[in-house]
Amino acid sequence: MDFFTNAVLAVMTAGPLAAMLGSTLLGVLIGALPGLNPVMAIALLLPLTYSMDPLVALAMVAGIYNGSMYGGAIPAILLRIPGTPASIATTFDGFPMADRGEASKALKIACWSSAIGGIASALALMTIGPVLARVTLFFGPAEYFWIAMFGMASVGVMVGSDPVKGVMAAALGLLIGTMGIDSLSGQARFTFGQTWLLGGLDLIVVLVGLYALPPVLQLAEKCDLKGLSASELKLAGVPFAPGEIRRLVPTWLRSSLVGIAVGILPGAGGNIAAFLSYNAAKNASDDPDSFGKGNPQGVAAAECGNNADNAASMIPALTLGIPGNVVAALVLSALMIHGLQPGPQLFHQNPVLVGGFMIEMLLTSVLIFLVGGAAATRVFAQIQRLPGVLLVPAILVLMCVGVYVINGRPVDLWVMLAAGTAGYFLEKLNVPLAPIILGMILGPMAEQSVRRALLLSRGDPLELLTRPISATLAIATLGMILWPLVKAFRRRRG
Amino acid sequence: MALGLLFAVLGLGAAWQAASYSGAGGHYPMVLGLFLTLCGSLVILRAARAPVGAARRLVDAPANMARALAASIAYVGLIVPLGFYTASALLMLCLPLLLGFRRPLYTLVVGASFIVLVWLVFSVVLEKPLPAELWSASRFGGD
Repeated sequence: MDFFTNAVLAVMTAGPLAAMLGSTLLGVLIGALPGLNPVMAIALLLPLTYSMDPLVALAMVAGIYNGSMYGGAIPAILLRIPGTPASIATTFDGFPMADRGEASKALKIACWSSAIGGIASALALMTIGPVLARVTLFFGPAEYFWIAMFGMASVGVMVGSDPVKGVMAAALGLLIGTMGIDSLSGQARFTFGQTWLLGGLDLIVVLVGLYALPPVLQLAEKCDLKGLSASELKLAGVPFAPGEIRRLVPTWLRSSLVGIAVGILPGAGGNIAAFLSYNAAKNASDDPDSFGKGNPQGVAAAECGNNADNAASMIPALTLGIPGNVVAALVLSALMIHGLQPGPQLFHQNPVLVGGFMIEMLLTSVLIFLVGGAAATRVFAQIQRLPGVLLVPAILVLMCVGVYVINGRPVDLWVMLAAGTAGYFLEKLNVPLAPIILGMILGPMAEQSVRRALLLSRGDPLELLTRPISATLAIATLGMILWPLVKAFRRRRG
Repeated sequence: MALGLLFAVLGLGAAWQAASYSGAGGHYPMVLGLFLTLCGSLVILRAARAPVGAARRLVDAPANMARALAASIAYVGLIVPLGFYTASALLMLCLPLLLGFRRPLYTLVVGASFIVLVWLVFSVVLEKPLPAELWSASRFGGD
């Protein structure tokens, strides 16, 4: 209990509280802008957190993550344009509701559902996280190697539409992660005689490029010169019918469970949680035909599901050091920026920080109730009146200032630009970007674990497979890689 | 096809480079390089076996994309010679114009407000050192 008592005391101070409020507001704004997404926003934010207190930095990450997942519902409902990929399912019933003059009601349902999903997810993180951390204390280098491999395989296979390209992207990330001085042998690898490469490529520099430049170039391609007119934002208020809110409770419960389960699974993101929750609500409904035609249950399921994924995706990240999605990878980066090593030891070495972050995930979900109210939503919706072409240079400036302040080196700006341009074309060719970043994060851990395990076993590779947990993880990893092949083989035979 | 080829060559190059590293430090990147080559070869093989269809457009609006990318390159190239805020102001004014936005006053107001905001956050509040402006005293040996 002391774990959370001390964390609450640390979070309930001016810095983290102000950071949570400000970043949740900012998150809703970012989510409300089609083309911008939470990953991009957190990637831009990370370089600024170097000089901040870690709890303040993590409060900002939590606020932007939870806020933007709700914010994405605003254009999804008003314009049928999902603000984030996770709000695609919200458009199915949100826009038909707005079209028949119930935009305000749909936004209110989205706001409450997001907050409830986020709270349920944070509670799952607070209960499951510490237990799992205790179990993982028994893991050795072989188990860590296989956990890293399993995380990479599942993310590579499940993210994107093409498993081969996903695994290929993961291998590229692992290879990039080997650049610089090898910490075990002192060998300089892939540095090409450049001293600035001795420390390897800076993760944040590559991350900002990969995740912020492609959306900027896509915004430029779309070339929105007008923004929206006031009349296009239909925000008339319609009151709830008696018992209408009570009927949403089972949907909230079901979607929270679906979202949490999806969040814990590496590779599956908020969009999958939203789709699964939406389908579950439709299957459980007495009137499934009304889904897609403006059923409030559809909005509640999608929004509750995508926010219930948020904190749950941090469970493997904080306990095992294995990020389940890109935002979790960004949280790990934020911890590493402050010299903290994610994994079970973190719970013992920095309990206030881990517990504090869990509480921040909870409080920023509660804040959605406050900042996502009807009046605030009207204000956030106005952001869509800004022409998209003006956002293009603004984001470029933020990218450059964020990257420059990390090391004060102009060469980092070129690395960011190269990574971003490569990311833009790779995305166009259906190569997912998340495995590249996860490879960069997990690569050093995987390499050190396998080499330590081999040193302990005096070079016997069987040691990697003979312990019960490592053998199970090895089989799970193999199964994860072979599953798409089996599916393809079955499809061909069928 | 080209994507697979690119990754296969990249993997081979990495494996070849890693072969020159001594001890265990070279084995891991060499295995990764070979695995990347295998993945690239699989992509090539699939592309070769796939039925030939109509070529898909990679970029929806190539002219706008090229303008934005060229402006980004020019901006990064000008940050050190001109100074961060001068180069940023130029980008805020010129890029919307290049993309066809013809409301100069709107651009000026949004651009100026944004640059002031960035200056307040990074230079005043966070006190982060950024490349000095062309016209600033520090370029001429002053403070």
